[in-house]
Amino acid sequence: MLRIDHVLGSRIDPSFSEDLHRLEHRGGVDVVSIPVADLSRRRLLATTRGGRELAIALPRHEKLFDGAVLFIDADKAIVVRAGTERWLRPEPRSIADAIELGYQAGNLHWRVRFEGEALFVALEGRTEDYIARLDELIASRRIGVSIIDQESGESGRREDEAPHVGGHHLHGHGHHHGHDQDH
Amino acid sequence: MGLQLTSLTTSADANPSVAARIGIGGPVGSGKTALIEALIPVLQTRGVDFAVVTNDLVTKEDAERLRRSGLIDPARVSAVEAGACPHTVIREDPTLNIAAGDTLEATFPGLELILFESGGDNLASTFSLDLVDWWIFVIDVAGGDDIPRKKGPGVMKCDLLVVNKVDLAPYVGVALEPMLAEAQRVRAGKPVIATNARSGLGVDAVADAISAAVLFRS
Repeated sequence: MLRIDHVLGSRIDPSFSEDLHRLEHRGGVDVVSIPVADLSRRRLLATTRGGRELAIALPRHEKLFDGAVLFIDADKAIVVRAGTERWLRPEPRSIADAIELGYQAGNLHWRVRFEGEALFVALEGRTEDYIARLDELIASRRIGVSIIDQESGESGRREDEAPHVGGHHLHGHGHHHGHDQDH
Repeated sequence: MGLQLTSLTTSADANPSVAARIGIGGPVGSGKTALIEALIPVLQTRGVDFAVVTNDLVTKEDAERLRRSGLIDPARVSAVEAGACPHTVIREDPTLNIAAGDTLEATFPGLELILFESGGDNLASTFSLDLVDWWIFVIDVAGGDDIPRKKGPGVMKCDLLVVNKVDLAPYVGVALEPMLAEAQRVRAGKPVIATNARSGLGVDAVADAISAAVLFRS
């Protein structure tokens, strides 16, 4: 088990990018995928795609992030890749429905973000548990819902790869494709 | 892979904020303080250097209980008064608790683990990961066997669910095994441990879970 006590920097730092590029060509860059919800933990166990077990124990002033370099030497590097984040996008049919939706989201302490006129709810548990809380609004057709998978962070902005579910497509940059309306 | 650690290791002495921090939350009377009292000798036996931060509404009751217990150096117990909103100081604004943890780490260099006991709350309380690395939610059988299926955020989101006071099940009309099975089901396999903090049942398993998750000891 490899113990990681510090984040060394970002993969886009000039001091790392050249070495990482060189190592990538030799297959020397290993990736550890961390779910977005776990990025805030200072201590956790994780396994890299190459099978290396990591015991991550950061000081409290440091934090994991997408692209964080955890290890690098002449032969190997380990870089964090933030997991795909799932979002629920409820679409209220009226201002009154939007107000009720906002109340529910706040009352349930859901983590949300806003994009233009849309509110997105982070799915940090099972989707059905979130849908169940909005059951009345959905059953009465006062809101529609769709699920969006979003690559996150600096290396996650791969717009062409962002899958779309339920007829919607979200970019890491926070805007929509032209075909993002109901279909 | 022969990775070297030379450039990565840092001793606890070199940085004042490196101890693992875990949360212990749960409803009023579920046995949070009793669980900590039971964990103290187990952690001591295992050689873990630890301290405790307790949260109460407007008193220091739980801290005083631990300080008077004779189980732990009273200086290693810090108290935070949460005011009227016990979940706020562990979730929305955990500043007071973070500061209490930092003070303990500065006072006791080499500290490996800090346990943050929340004030008694309801099934909705959760810990911010800015405050803790991993957290336990304690419920008890006397609170009712329907607690798991109510799917409160505390039950659903915690890293370890402890079902305490299992000895009381026959006296409160609770079928323990179905309750535990339901807890496992709603948590989609995330761990559940049954305890009786008074007798020590299950406490070793809780200490094992803490050790594996944040102290990296198996």
